Amino acid sequence: MATDKTNLQLVVNGILNENPIFRLVLSMCPAVGISTTVMNGFMLGIAVLFVQVCSSCTIALFKNVIHPRIRIPTYTLTIATWVTVIDMVLAAYLPEAYAKMGIFIKLIVAFAIITMRLEMFASKESVNASFWDGIGMGLGFMFGMMALGFVRELLGMGTLLGYDVLGFKPLLFFVLPLAGFFCVGLMMAFFNYIEIVYKRAKRA
Amino acid sequence: MKDILTIIFRLTVACLLAGLVMGTVFIATNKAKKHNIHVNEQKVMLSLLGYSAKNPAPESVAMHEVYRYLVGEGEAMAMGYLLPLRDGSFSFVTIDLAGGFVAQTPVALAAEKAGEPEARTPAIAAALGADKPLRYADQTIVVTDGGKRTAYLLPGKFPGFKTFIGAILALDQNFSILGLEIMEHEEDPGLGAEIVQGYFKNQFKGKPLETVKKLEVVKTPLPEEYLKALEAEKSGLGAEEVASIQKQYQDNDIYALTGATISSRSVTNGVKAMVKKFAYRLAILDRVIAEQHIATPF
Amino acid sequence: MNTHTIRRILFSLVLLLGLPVLAQAQALIAGQDFGKAPNEIVVTFAGEVDRTTVENPANYRVYEAQDPDILLALESVALADDQKTATLTFKEPLNARLSHVVTISRLAEGGEGASFTVMKPYLGYLFSILVGALLINNFVFTKYLGLCVFFGTSKRKDTAKGMGLTFTMVIVVSAIMSWFFYQFILKPYGLNFLQIVVFIGLVSLTVQAVDTVLRKVNPALFNAFGVYLVLVIANCVIIAVPLILADNEYKFWESFMLALGAGGGFLLALYLMSSVRERMELANIPQTFKGVPIAFIVAGQFALAFLGFSGLTLF
Repeated sequence: MATDKTNLQLVVNGILNENPIFRLVLSMCPAVGISTTVMNGFMLGIAVLFVQVCSSCTIALFKNVIHPRIRIPTYTLTIATWVTVIDMVLAAYLPEAYAKMGIFIKLIVAFAIITMRLEMFASKESVNASFWDGIGMGLGFMFGMMALGFVRELLGMGTLLGYDVLGFKPLLFFVLPLAGFFCVGLMMAFFNYIEIVYKRAKRA
Repeated sequence: MKDILTIIFRLTVACLLAGLVMGTVFIATNKAKKHNIHVNEQKVMLSLLGYSAKNPAPESVAMHEVYRYLVGEGEAMAMGYLLPLRDGSFSFVTIDLAGGFVAQTPVALAAEKAGEPEARTPAIAAALGADKPLRYADQTIVVTDGGKRTAYLLPGKFPGFKTFIGAILALDQNFSILGLEIMEHEEDPGLGAEIVQGYFKNQFKGKPLETVKKLEVVKTPLPEEYLKALEAEKSGLGAEEVASIQKQYQDNDIYALTGATISSRSVTNGVKAMVKKFAYRLAILDRVIAEQHIATPF
Repeated sequence: MNTHTIRRILFSLVLLLGLPVLAQAQALIAGQDFGKAPNEIVVTFAGEVDRTTVENPANYRVYEAQDPDILLALESVALADDQKTATLTFKEPLNARLSHVVTISRLAEGGEGASFTVMKPYLGYLFSILVGALLINNFVFTKYLGLCVFFGTSKRKDTAKGMGLTFTMVIVVSAIMSWFFYQFILKPYGLNFLQIVVFIGLVSLTVQAVDTVLRKVNPALFNAFGVYLVLVIANCVIIAVPLILADNEYKFWESFMLALGAGGGFLLALYLMSSVRERMELANIPQTFKGVPIAFIVAGQFALAFLGFSGLTLF
């Protein structure tokens, strides 16, 4: 069944309605652990975007050939291949980025967001739709990570993108990975609040 | 039955396809990856010696790699050094544990391959004879300027608060510390991870060998002027002022990081051990090189 | 000669050859360990020793196993009154994490010498890996892996238990298989770039195998836990464990302990979380926080508590 959304709507959907971090509650591991700075969030977001788009397109291309009984292993194989490819390419051509992202690139394989999206969307939709949906999901993920990174970097280190903004470190606590838990929880509550206010305004 | 066969067939095809893609990308990118790692190491080492993009190393500066191995086992254990010779070939010098010269064996190895353990270790094993067990210990880089020794670079790894800390230490020809660079660590961010910051690392700069041998960590706050000198790029102090302040604090102990005493101690003890062991071993190696008239470029 | 006679002969030969060695080792050193102070080694002798010989530091050669050419400076040796235990005191504190080799040239005038290694017990090391993965580096609270599944299955105690146990089973089996694959196939043939694919492939295989086996062997158990098997694949921890054991070059038992600790830690985290969440269902939580947000905050508090284990060293 083909989706009735336009390409732009797919992208926006990925960022807002079905934001993987705040709405779908998927891929929490990086959200909590790596969103310590805006740059980290940005770089991992780009990596996930790439893997998501490539995997979605590959699966959408082959969706008629994949046997339903082995679809999960096939998804995993596709994701693993693309992750390995991006890992090697990054190590070869962008070593500074790779030095920071190393272990997390390898973990992308287990990110639930990608597998789930392949199962829910790419295996049923056309290549074109999967491409734009992949972009939307990737952007949504990046947006979520950068938002978290913004709060944590500013409050934890007093810097933004490495530039000293506040000149002192307000609460070192935010830099510790565990603050990610608190930040994500608070952000989600914030999103919920906005949604409630929005719904109330619509009704009124 | 047919179902299972189809499944197996499709799965195998998928695996082969994936393997093909990855293998191709691997072959295409592996060289570039290794090159990047090498370039990064070179950059770090040059910056430790005081050179940078603005102040590049002159042509007369050369780096010579010496690899240390443990040969044999039990009572017959000995230390072996793979030395580059002036004519570009390599020689493996075996020295017993008491410091006495044992043997000098030429090793057939191409200069570019010396940096790769997969090529180097088998070449040495072939030259020595297959029956001696060979274990790689560590690497030292001797830096010369116009043939005279100016510095030593020692990559090393020592235990930290959490797992290990990997570092490169630069010593001058009298074994005073030229600089310390932390390459990898798993310390806590904001606490132990501050060992990579200038105000900790640069405390080691300029300390002479005798001070380093007895170096301890003190838990008092860093004096204001010393902090300014250590972070000269931020505070904007002139080179002469920095040098004079550093000279003042040269024989002091290391000021610990706030909330990271154990990490500070780990680094200090690690550096201490590295310097002591290196000075001891180099004295023996130099004596053997002089006695045996080995034609090393340093 | 039949096999029985051959076996008897071989056994007696081994005994004949081995006995003197055993006897010698047993006759000289009964035990060795690091002392209470950071610069001490304590050695227990099994037989007669001469006080002046034993208490002479010149008869000793001690070095860290990895640096055999650097002898550690021995300050003094004190033989206890029972003539059996000697305490070696060194000038500098010892690094007890490394194994040290002690050689005594002779224990009595004209007598035999002995050489032995002092190190922390291996079992202790294995146990410390287990506790490390369980508490100090708990995969959920300290390493922030496996969170998606964590939040999904921690609503009730029985789902938590089911997920935890299934996960431990799968991770131990797949970690061991990954270890074999890594040691005997990936490393020798330089196929390290296939690490990710191979490890996740082994996990899928294990999940499939456990699924089939459970279905046939214990259908009741399958009905209870089967549904969690699929979720195991989406768990970041399941690929983190093989990657860690490959990176650190762990041996077999160390990998086993790591996997057991990882699974156990996950179970512990799930159980703690579900106990709290069950109670929160009855609490008065603001609308915006209901459900996942408050779960995150609670998880953050647990993580804060687990931070207290940081840097803990046993053995």
